[in-house]
Amino acid sequence: MSDPIRGQTAICGLGITEMGKVYGHDASWFAGESIRLAVEDAGLQKDDIDGLLVNPGITGMMGSGIGIPLQGYLGLRNLRLLNHMNSYGATASAMVQYAAFAVHHGMANYVACIFSDAPLQQGGSAGAAYGGAGRRGPSGMASLMPAFGFYGANTSYALAARRYMERYGITNNDLGRVSVTQRRYAVDNPHATMRQPLTLEDYHNSRWIVEPFHLLDCCLVSNGAVCTIVTTAERARDLKSSPAYIWGMGQGHPGNFPHAEVEVGTTSGATIAGETAYKMAGVGPEDVDICEFYDCYTYTVLRTIEDYGLAKPGEAIGLYPEDPADPEAELPTINTGGGQLSSYYMWGMTPISEGVIQARGSGGDRQIEKNDIVLCSGNGGTLDTHGTLILSPNAN
Amino acid sequence: MAYEKPLPNPDENTQPFFDGLKEHKLLLQYFPSADHYQYPYSDRCYKDWSTDWEWRESAGNGEVYTWVRMHQLYHPSWKAEIPYTLAVVQLDEGPRMHTNLVRVPVEDVHVGMRVKIHFDDVTDEFTLPKFEPA
Repeated sequence: MSDPIRGQTAICGLGITEMGKVYGHDASWFAGESIRLAVEDAGLQKDDIDGLLVNPGITGMMGSGIGIPLQGYLGLRNLRLLNHMNSYGATASAMVQYAAFAVHHGMANYVACIFSDAPLQQGGSAGAAYGGAGRRGPSGMASLMPAFGFYGANTSYALAARRYMERYGITNNDLGRVSVTQRRYAVDNPHATMRQPLTLEDYHNSRWIVEPFHLLDCCLVSNGAVCTIVTTAERARDLKSSPAYIWGMGQGHPGNFPHAEVEVGTTSGATIAGETAYKMAGVGPEDVDICEFYDCYTYTVLRTIEDYGLAKPGEAIGLYPEDPADPEAELPTINTGGGQLSSYYMWGMTPISEGVIQARGSGGDRQIEKNDIVLCSGNGGTLDTHGTLILSPNAN
Repeated sequence: MAYEKPLPNPDENTQPFFDGLKEHKLLLQYFPSADHYQYPYSDRCYKDWSTDWEWRESAGNGEVYTWVRMHQLYHPSWKAEIPYTLAVVQLDEGPRMHTNLVRVPVEDVHVGMRVKIHFDDVTDEFTLPKFEPA
């Protein structure tokens, strides 16, 4: 039994800006480009937009990110819905969910959900862009972290990954199979930043960041923005581009409790979020055709596959070919645009944007033929927050 | 040679914890109503929202919950030590602590390894709670 809201709302417009080392613009500028592209994609007019939800990336923590003032910058004068939302990497799903409920109940007609970020500066490294953000001398017990030499998200995820790997006997070569698989998809994605094919040897030769993570286990850092416009299924049907209907929505937020009672590394919020979304959509793991999973690290993908019930704990790696660089190898239909590892890092909007493309059938050389059920995840903190969207080209 | 790595920066609430380390005692917050040890510091128990608590000395025993080797240089003072080992230790009292492992070759480090506290007097003013094989 599905919920009556299944298929009643849709993503009707998608705007993806130029991505990566695009310099000379701030996050507002990228946001402006993304909404312009999304409105054009949907065949709407600027004044049709009556809802705006914003999610700044790391620049939001540095003081130069998008926020409520974006309304003024964009000259949106018809807003009936406005919010600056934050559940870290789960925000993009949460924005689309909030927008879906709002349009379904008549609070707004066309809600633009925007993620925008511009942390990269000419001459600066990606690590500096992220590692430097918010590093302003913690006090109290938190000050022990730099005293011990802990820095950044890479370290927290590497800690989670190690526990998972030792528990299930997962090797670096296994993580490499995920990395190489996603690059093969990125080669065919014109939006992707990294389009050179990779081999497992390249993976092993990439430098260590925080062992067990090589450079090629870690996502990119990108300047850019993605805008999705959410409306009712009824309105979406008559617009310029094919809708991606929203079938299922869910959230799950285990939080972060450093205590023996709470397991870290071998579980995530996807279990709860997935269950909720499957129930709303009236589908199960066996119905999923395509997965677009938040892949801040290779490890996160394996963890997420298992938490959505698509493989038993420790067995997600079995979905990947031994050597994904082999042109004959059949790839799992997971992160079909290259993901955050190889295409672009727009937090939770990376999986949703590729999910919309696949649901519309507009993936070109990388399009997966069977696309009835597209499962998208968002994940934030260190597996602390999670959001799910299930998209479909079919209204019912 | 002067110690150049980042040093702790105690605040009013955590000063007793850092004073304890200097005396080679690992103090944890204990909340009696929930029979709960909590780390890091909070003014409220997250189990039953109680604000009544006391400092209790930990036995300093636990096991490696997870660990990594840091290769990336984020702060220049770590340059000579890269790659260095970072760990999360699960204390027998319940809380988990981020820490450094000492007196153990990296080849021997694994999840589940039993460890005990090692107080490292890094300067005259500060002692860091590290761990070594039990």
